[in-house]
Amino acid sequence: MKMKPIFYSLLVSAAGWLAACQSNNSVSPALNAVTFANLPADPPSAGYNPTNGAPIGVTNKFTFFSFSTGAIVANTDSATNKWDLGFRGTTIIVNGGTSGSGSTTAQVITGTFESYNTAPATGYSPDNLASASAPYAIPTGSGRGWYNYDYTTNLITPIAGKIILVKTTAGKYAKMEIISYYKNQTMPTTPTLTPNDRYYTFRYIYQPDGSTNLK
Amino acid sequence: MSNRSIILFILTGGTWFAVPAQDSLSTQKLNEIVVTATRNEKALGALPMPVTLIGKNQLRTMGSLRLNNVLTEQTGLVMVPQVNGLGNGLQLQGFDPDYTLILIDGEPLIGRYTGSLDLSRLAVGNIKQIEIVKGPSSSLYGSEALAGVVNIITERPAFTRGTLSARYGTFNTTDFTGDLSTTAHKLGVYAFANRYSTDGYSLGTNTNKTVSPFINTTLQGKINYKITPQTDLSFSARSFQENQAQSFVVNSNSVEIQTIGTGTIHDSNIFGSVEHHFSKRLKALAKIYTTHYETATNLKVKPVDTLYYHDDFSQSYTRPEINTEYFITPRHIVMAGTGTILETVQTSRYGDENKRLQQTQYGFFQYEWLPSDQFQVIGGGRYDHNSIYGAQFSPKLSMLWNPNNRFTLKASYGLGFKSPDFRQLYLNFNNTAAGGYSVLGTEIVVERINQLKAQGQLGALFYDLSQIGKLQAEQSRALNVGGRYTPSPGFFFDVNIFRNDIDNLIETQVVARTTANQNIYSYKNLHRVYTDGLELNVSYPLFKNISASLGYQLLYAKDKDVIANIRSGGVYSYYRDPATLETKRLSVSEYFGLANRSRHTGNFKIFYNNKERGLDASLRLIYRGRYGAGSLQGNVQGLTIPPSDRNNNGILDVYDNFVSGYFLCNVSAAKTFRQKLRVQAGVDNLFDYKDALYIPNLPGRQIYFSMSYSFSKK
Repeated sequence: MKMKPIFYSLLVSAAGWLAACQSNNSVSPALNAVTFANLPADPPSAGYNPTNGAPIGVTNKFTFFSFSTGAIVANTDSATNKWDLGFRGTTIIVNGGTSGSGSTTAQVITGTFESYNTAPATGYSPDNLASASAPYAIPTGSGRGWYNYDYTTNLITPIAGKIILVKTTAGKYAKMEIISYYKNQTMPTTPTLTPNDRYYTFRYIYQPDGSTNLK
Repeated sequence: MSNRSIILFILTGGTWFAVPAQDSLSTQKLNEIVVTATRNEKALGALPMPVTLIGKNQLRTMGSLRLNNVLTEQTGLVMVPQVNGLGNGLQLQGFDPDYTLILIDGEPLIGRYTGSLDLSRLAVGNIKQIEIVKGPSSSLYGSEALAGVVNIITERPAFTRGTLSARYGTFNTTDFTGDLSTTAHKLGVYAFANRYSTDGYSLGTNTNKTVSPFINTTLQGKINYKITPQTDLSFSARSFQENQAQSFVVNSNSVEIQTIGTGTIHDSNIFGSVEHHFSKRLKALAKIYTTHYETATNLKVKPVDTLYYHDDFSQSYTRPEINTEYFITPRHIVMAGTGTILETVQTSRYGDENKRLQQTQYGFFQYEWLPSDQFQVIGGGRYDHNSIYGAQFSPKLSMLWNPNNRFTLKASYGLGFKSPDFRQLYLNFNNTAAGGYSVLGTEIVVERINQLKAQGQLGALFYDLSQIGKLQAEQSRALNVGGRYTPSPGFFFDVNIFRNDIDNLIETQVVARTTANQNIYSYKNLHRVYTDGLELNVSYPLFKNISASLGYQLLYAKDKDVIANIRSGGVYSYYRDPATLETKRLSVSEYFGLANRSRHTGNFKIFYNNKERGLDASLRLIYRGRYGAGSLQGNVQGLTIPPSDRNNNGILDVYDNFVSGYFLCNVSAAKTFRQKLRVQAGVDNLFDYKDALYIPNLPGRQIYFSMSYSFSKK
């Protein structure tokens, strides 16, 4: 199961290479879809309080991620433009608007990862906590953004067909799909107080050349 | 008058002894009288809508004790559990149990505190026949008669006779039933008593029982008095009491707590009527019905004796009605009626113990026209005005054509509705744990939102305030077309094709959010769904005393908005590949439909009835095809039911996990000595099929023995 995404990205890149050769005027090199596994988004160190459901042992701090480096950015750099997205629980912030010093914008669109080979030119917005209806560029809440929350099992499932498109502070485009909210992509099958949640696994394609090509 | 004469007085009692062998499946007798479909007595074969009749004879041969066991064996009927995985509600033509009206002697059964009625409440011993009308019957019965109506006709005072029976079976289940009927001059009396007890059963591995032990008793009495040859007085009363001893180990804070307690159900109804024949052509019926249902659960922590859980619910329903029937000529019959319904609910579930009231005034009419012996038309309608959801008009038109004695063709079209229930209006549920959310009924949600606004706690409002808190009745439009082909006596094919379009289905929806990001759910008229399919019944007399029958239902039940959404590439048009977890595109044909509906259900039955030797026996196979489990998780065993949707798109598609299809096999055999003493043995669920996770209401194999003694002075 873990081999598959790697195999798939090889396949995608091979296909892209083939296409590039055939057209013989490679606009840009084929991009690889990268899977980032187990980004900790402030996971509770001791699970959840059984009486009130509150997470135990959380820092309330965001984990920052940069597409250009493909790595986590230290929390001490929160006031810089080094990061693009921040993750804490089910909330994802962008480094723009009310959330950060940068000018990152994002949008959630419906489709498959493969169907967005070109980033749309419009539709992006920064975070705006002053807005009651849309405080985040990537909306929070069950069924409103990227996930569904089942209040009978307390489980979070990423909605199929929700792709997040990001325009970074540097004006570069990226697309990402959240694959799992649970550590090692293992969602519990029964409700548990230690679900190992708040670990994002997502795949993305980042276009460093500034074009809208995301293939 | 036509040859299919309209019989005004019910012919009752002991008729099963005279039933010819090939008619031992008494559902099939065309000359038997049913009352539910048109509110007057009519021969089964003369009804222009699909009606199933289960007679006393079949009930006795099957050996069933509770109503759910009887209904689960009928074509197109599926017993489905309630939200907690237990109980037995009735799914009909793909409708949830909330949408079928259940009547006892024409009067509604109440107590839908989770939406469906648990039909195991009803004993079978006093049932004379069960009539099932498919398709909407709101034109006669109003709310809830959306999918259809099940009318349980109990025994009436007749000649002097009585029965005593006792039964013992698996799970230490005992049943004692007695009834007595007698008449003297103008007076008729019928009395019935039943006591049923069981140790319950356990399907799981831990100590908690899936069904806890319980004892229930049913008492019923009826008195008829003929004041004059033209005037009949009737009075009846019924009472049901159930006590359940509960004992659960609850896992809280990873600490096991032993809880014990009781669950009680009490249900009673009283009915009185006067019927007067003004002439041979005009009769009128004035009646009053009142019923009360209450249930309570109290769990205490052992041995500390502190209250762990309390839940109570009580509902009352009172209905006076006047109803007249006029034979203009034998080919033109009109009926009209009017009445008032007063309903109250009081429960701990709505956050207080306030009594909630709703009132409905209604009037209905029906016109039967028989232009020829081969053709008839029935048209009618009903107008309901409710104090909360307003007015509702439900017309219905049915036709029957009987070109010769081999073919009958039927078609009916009607509107049905279901009023918002008390839960949707008044529920006040606040979950303080797990992130916190509220589910609020529409009658209180606006007030709560305004409160939050005043306190500065309103984070977001997802609908205009004028669109919240208004709930309309759920409505359906339904077409049933079918008929019967009879190649030879006792051998026939019954076909019915149905289509139901349901609008305004009520669902919970997030309507607002607090500043602390807690969702506020309320109820809204959202969904549009359809169910369509086909029902087929074939009966064939194999030998002199043996008849075989085959039943099948094909069902499609789908959400129209989901289909539109998939077509337009919306949020439902994707699924997550179970291996790679990557998103793929879903096609409309890959959408399976609503959860808990099997595409294929069916049954195969053989009934043996040898009157001369006093023997009867049956073999019944019941099939339920695969289906998807909805988002109803958790049962009393502490097991969590994983929903079928495992690919994150919120709908049931062909790539999801399904609950496997299964066969049940029930057998029974009985010998009657001198028409008095009857000995019966049987096995239900012979092959011991179990699915602890998904079908907790299906116990394993059950063996039983029973003896009964009947006498009659006829």
